[in-house]
Amino acid sequence: MRHPVFGLLLALILGGTLSALSDRIDPYHLDVLIGVGINVVLAVSLNLVAGHTGQFSLGHAGFMAVGAYAAAAVTIFLGPRLLGDDPPGGLAENTLFGGALLAGGLAAALAGLLVGIPSLRLRGDYLALVTLGFGEIIRVLLQNFEPLGGALGLNGIPAYTTVAWVVAAGAATVFTVGCLVRSSYGLGFLAVRDDEIAASAAGLDPARYKVVAFTVGAFFAGIAGGLFGHFKMTITPSGFDFSRSIEIVVMVILGGLGNTIGVILAAVLLTLLPEFLRPVAEYRLVLYSLLLIGLMLARPQGLFSFRTPRPAPRS
Amino acid sequence: MSTPLLQLSQATVRFGGLTAVDALDLTLGERELVGLIGPNGAGKTTAFNLITGLYPPASGSVTFAGRPLAGLPPHRIVAAGIARTFQNIRLFGSLSVLDHVRVAGNLHRTAAPWQALVRLSSFRESEAAVTRRAEELLALFNLERFRDIPARSLPYGEQRRLEIVRALATRPRLLLLDEPAAGLNPQEKIELVALIQRVHREFDLTILLVEHSMKVVMGVCQRIAVLDHGKKIAEGPPAAIRRDPAVIEAYLGPDHATALFHH
Amino acid sequence: MTEFLQQLVNGLSLGAIYALIALGYTMVYGVLRFINFAHSDVFMVGAFAGLYLAPLAHAGSILGGLLVTGGAMLAASLLGVAIERLAYRPLRHAPTLNVLITAIGVSCLLQSAGQLVFGAAPRSFPVIFPARALSVGGLDFSSNQVVVLVFAAALVVGLRLIVFHTRMGAALRAVSQNPRAARLMGIDNDVVIRFTFALGSALAGAGGVLYAVNYPTIDPLMGVLPGLKAFVAAILGGIGSIPGAALGGLLLGLVETFVGGSEYSTYKDAIAFALLILFLLFRPAGLLGKSRIEKV
Repeated sequence: MRHPVFGLLLALILGGTLSALSDRIDPYHLDVLIGVGINVVLAVSLNLVAGHTGQFSLGHAGFMAVGAYAAAAVTIFLGPRLLGDDPPGGLAENTLFGGALLAGGLAAALAGLLVGIPSLRLRGDYLALVTLGFGEIIRVLLQNFEPLGGALGLNGIPAYTTVAWVVAAGAATVFTVGCLVRSSYGLGFLAVRDDEIAASAAGLDPARYKVVAFTVGAFFAGIAGGLFGHFKMTITPSGFDFSRSIEIVVMVILGGLGNTIGVILAAVLLTLLPEFLRPVAEYRLVLYSLLLIGLMLARPQGLFSFRTPRPAPRS
Repeated sequence: MSTPLLQLSQATVRFGGLTAVDALDLTLGERELVGLIGPNGAGKTTAFNLITGLYPPASGSVTFAGRPLAGLPPHRIVAAGIARTFQNIRLFGSLSVLDHVRVAGNLHRTAAPWQALVRLSSFRESEAAVTRRAEELLALFNLERFRDIPARSLPYGEQRRLEIVRALATRPRLLLLDEPAAGLNPQEKIELVALIQRVHREFDLTILLVEHSMKVVMGVCQRIAVLDHGKKIAEGPPAAIRRDPAVIEAYLGPDHATALFHH
Repeated sequence: MTEFLQQLVNGLSLGAIYALIALGYTMVYGVLRFINFAHSDVFMVGAFAGLYLAPLAHAGSILGGLLVTGGAMLAASLLGVAIERLAYRPLRHAPTLNVLITAIGVSCLLQSAGQLVFGAAPRSFPVIFPARALSVGGLDFSSNQVVVLVFAAALVVGLRLIVFHTRMGAALRAVSQNPRAARLMGIDNDVVIRFTFALGSALAGAGGVLYAVNYPTIDPLMGVLPGLKAFVAAILGGIGSIPGAALGGLLLGLVETFVGGSEYSTYKDAIAFALLILFLLFRPAGLLGKSRIEKV
């Protein structure tokens, strides 16, 4: 994937093939595939914030929740009115779902903007704590919001999420993040992470970069939330708690902060791993945490980081 | 006289009870090359941090090309035309040499950030222009052979030079150099003096230089201001500063009335 | 008025527990400058240690209660020291982010291992202090609330004595002000850090038992929310400040109890975080902390 556009083409081919074959793939495998795709979107979008921009965020599940609820609200409350008698799986339904995902992404982006602003003054573990706090506040607010089901959650979300949608969302996320951080503008994300004062001395506005990273990252987390809701068909506020955020963080750390391909691999690995670990499911979290600690002690640069800094593209 | 490029009047910086820069008046005209010297803790770097917006003035004002800088964040001050280097080199740990210069070229990028997603020809041209300018600058300073290596693995002297190149990539009218000779060997210091003079000449700049090495300051500056305990105690051409009793006293204490800068 | 005083007592006893946990956070932050996320799970382990010790000691009497709490403090203390030695010491010179992530990992490990060892379902906590319902001037409270307040106050006073009147306490203060200078003065930083973890974890262990005494079921995830809130309390008080942590804990306990008693009770869990965000934005140094300027 030397060039983002090639990656996008590859994803198109992959998505097309998979959805053409989806009738012949075992439904269980299909479900796993969708889970992988959603986690790739989550991990790559968090990587923009935590990896490239260095703003350690523990509230990614909160943005996911905002997106999941907003998208579900669109399809549940607007869907019946807009779709009428159109056949399931048709163009109208997919357009509605696209709109719902976009709404979810935008709602989450707004939340990201709100979190990004306090992050301007904070760094390191203080920032981690504030993002964690925001995630928890979002959860408590949703629990108290009865029109969206309150603590019991929202049921009866239509199952619109398909492999094609997930691959498209994954490709869009990887493409956007990849193009951004490879442009001369996007080098600023890395510069801000490395040294904020030097970045401002080079004429970059660190505050702006952080807010952009939070907003874009949250946008894609929101889309992932929308896909998740229309995949599971039911969502509850407690499904987007702190431990969900940690899961995404582990993917990013495992893949290597700022290393997009590593993060994708880690997201795939960590989604598949529980499937293989089913026989020892109760030890899963113990293994996860040991993995995280061991990684920090032995390979803090991530499991999949072997690179030397990449040369700039010759244009 | 036309408006000065940079004017500090009665500028003061306080940290708690400590007055680090005390009612400093300093005026720089277009294309001047001025030195700012003083013993350790005299407030030289604090004055830089004041000019570049890292510290707010407690009182007094800083104006640049007739425009007050008060309240502007550091990156806006860079955009206004003031660039700097740091005493303890601050490079970006994960960027290559070329990317250091590209990222500083952002101020003059023509494509908007979102165009990276659409990749029209206007975006590609804008990116190419940023890279081309960065390469040209690297070539001017003999850094092009390090183009793709991480900046942190550069030799020390080259790191100092890269910081200057990064500052120049923002196309400043005023360049602040904070002890660029620190840590250099005598041969490198001679090269640095030549480099500063060349930058001053070829980039059509005003330069304010904080330096410990008297050899460097006396060699390149047209005018020198001396700080001690945050106050300006002398200002004038190098020859006069060399003999100024207040300066000698500040550097060596009252008992050393012998000339400090004669060898 | 009675209602108000009633809530005041409830708030203070909750706040006292936050304060005990907050002290451990603030002390570790003082010497190592990172959020020890695993601290909240040391608190949980303290409560479980109390659960398993209760049948052994003569629980139900004052002395038995003291023994159980003391045993839990010891267990928590050993755990804290072990965590520091195994997980944090190898990272002494690593970036803060790595230590922070490791701390999160240790926290997850304790929670998941706790679910395996102790079982995931809530367990009821035995009576370890003689429990009586007291009524003074129309105020109803339990003797356990008194026990919590007295115990917490005694521990805070004890901690103050250790920190300000012993050689080890002086070393602790020296390391938290300037670790390098402390080392040059002949202080073994590793010993001081180990001592800090032992002390802070013991307080969390006591907090765990006292919490369990008042809220009679415990489970392996019980530490998460009180732990986070206690860290918030440490920030409210001014991170690194011992009286600040105590003050922040009491303050948070009071605010939460009063909100919990009002019509907004379902928002109770969000209060701490809202306070945190407000404080970090407008008074990042906390009530009793000092702010710093970054040197360029």
